[in-house]
Amino acid sequence: MLILGIESATQQVGVSIGGHEGVIATFEVARGRRHAEILAPAIQFVCRQADIELTDLGCIAVDVGPGLFTGMRVGLAAAKALAQALKIPMIGISSLDLLAFPCRHTDRVVVPVIDARKGEVFWAMYRQVPGGVQQVGAPTVGPIDDLVADLLARSQDALCVGDGADRYRDEILDGFHCEISGPVHPSPAALVQLAHSRALREEWVRPGEIEPIYLRAPDAQINWATRESRP
Amino acid sequence: MLLRAASLVDTCAIASSLAGLARVGDIIVLAGEMGAGKTAFAQGFGKALGVTEPITSPTFTLVHSYPCGPKLTLHHADIYRLDSTGDVDQLALPELAEFGGIVLVEWGDVVATGFGDHLEVRLSRDEVGDGAGGADGDDDFGLDEARLIELQATGRSWSGRWDRVAYGLEGYRC
Repeated sequence: MLILGIESATQQVGVSIGGHEGVIATFEVARGRRHAEILAPAIQFVCRQADIELTDLGCIAVDVGPGLFTGMRVGLAAAKALAQALKIPMIGISSLDLLAFPCRHTDRVVVPVIDARKGEVFWAMYRQVPGGVQQVGAPTVGPIDDLVADLLARSQDALCVGDGADRYRDEILDGFHCEISGPVHPSPAALVQLAHSRALREEWVRPGEIEPIYLRAPDAQINWATRESRP
Repeated sequence: MLLRAASLVDTCAIASSLAGLARVGDIIVLAGEMGAGKTAFAQGFGKALGVTEPITSPTFTLVHSYPCGPKLTLHHADIYRLDSTGDVDQLALPELAEFGGIVLVEWGDVVATGFGDHLEVRLSRDEVGDGAGGADGDDDFGLDEARLIELQATGRSWSGRWDRVAYGLEGYRC
């Protein structure tokens, strides 16, 4: 079965197609932040170059975040629209999983760190298991200090990856000695690879069941009562 | 910094002066009662950035975007209709600012803590300076009456520009 992977949860826009033979084609642009303008032509380009018709696809995989609101929305909307129109199922995978997966050959704790803006980051922790990685610390959002405290609490050899680790390199290294390298953005190729193993187990959902992971501060009512003029 | 705008023309001139100092990534919160002149301020601001379309209040559409050249878009948001901070978060206004935008947020003061560095522009009617008319409700707000405009910066982003802000608006200081 052919899977189309759409990844737009960070600054990067990525599209990949693959299946049982592995990843066939990939397109990535990490500059410009024009998710809406790039995504549809990218899908068209990848399909054309790999000589694949949209109707050949059996499943749409999408990065469900956490990450940029604006980017995720474009990716999710496009992915859902395609799946609905083609009447095929979907698989949603977290951006943190996608960052950790390419580091599955290290025996260190893998810590994907994604820039959440305003001095905060999203992170989670993974360790190597046969065939991939397994989450050992739940996804969290918080200031860099909280991430450093989490790393110190574990005090294990760690590998930090992602645009958050890249941006806050000095702050992280000041607080905890670890390595910062590896992928900066989640890759659509990893998305297709992870989705393929789930597709084999038929672990997919209908387009309406895919939800983004915002992982943000708890929702609160706006206190409009303080405004006298609110009718 | 407290300013006094004697008329609508002054409000637009103050907005225009701030627009000249604004840059990509800025979030400017517009606070004040109904009819205080938030939209008038946005119109003066947009005109100074070269927006030629008419700027209207985005109360029902939440955000209006006006391209001002190849690398800048002015986003004019109004969160009056929203009831929860989660709804405001989903508009991703800081992301719009970061990605080549300047964002004006009407009523943004109710959730300003979520915006990080920003400038607040608080508009109110000048009760003292303006003798005419009653003080018994928004309906009596004449559009061309005097306004008090208070500027307050949160975070470092505006502090480096504060001297120029003060210089440009010297004539309106109270």
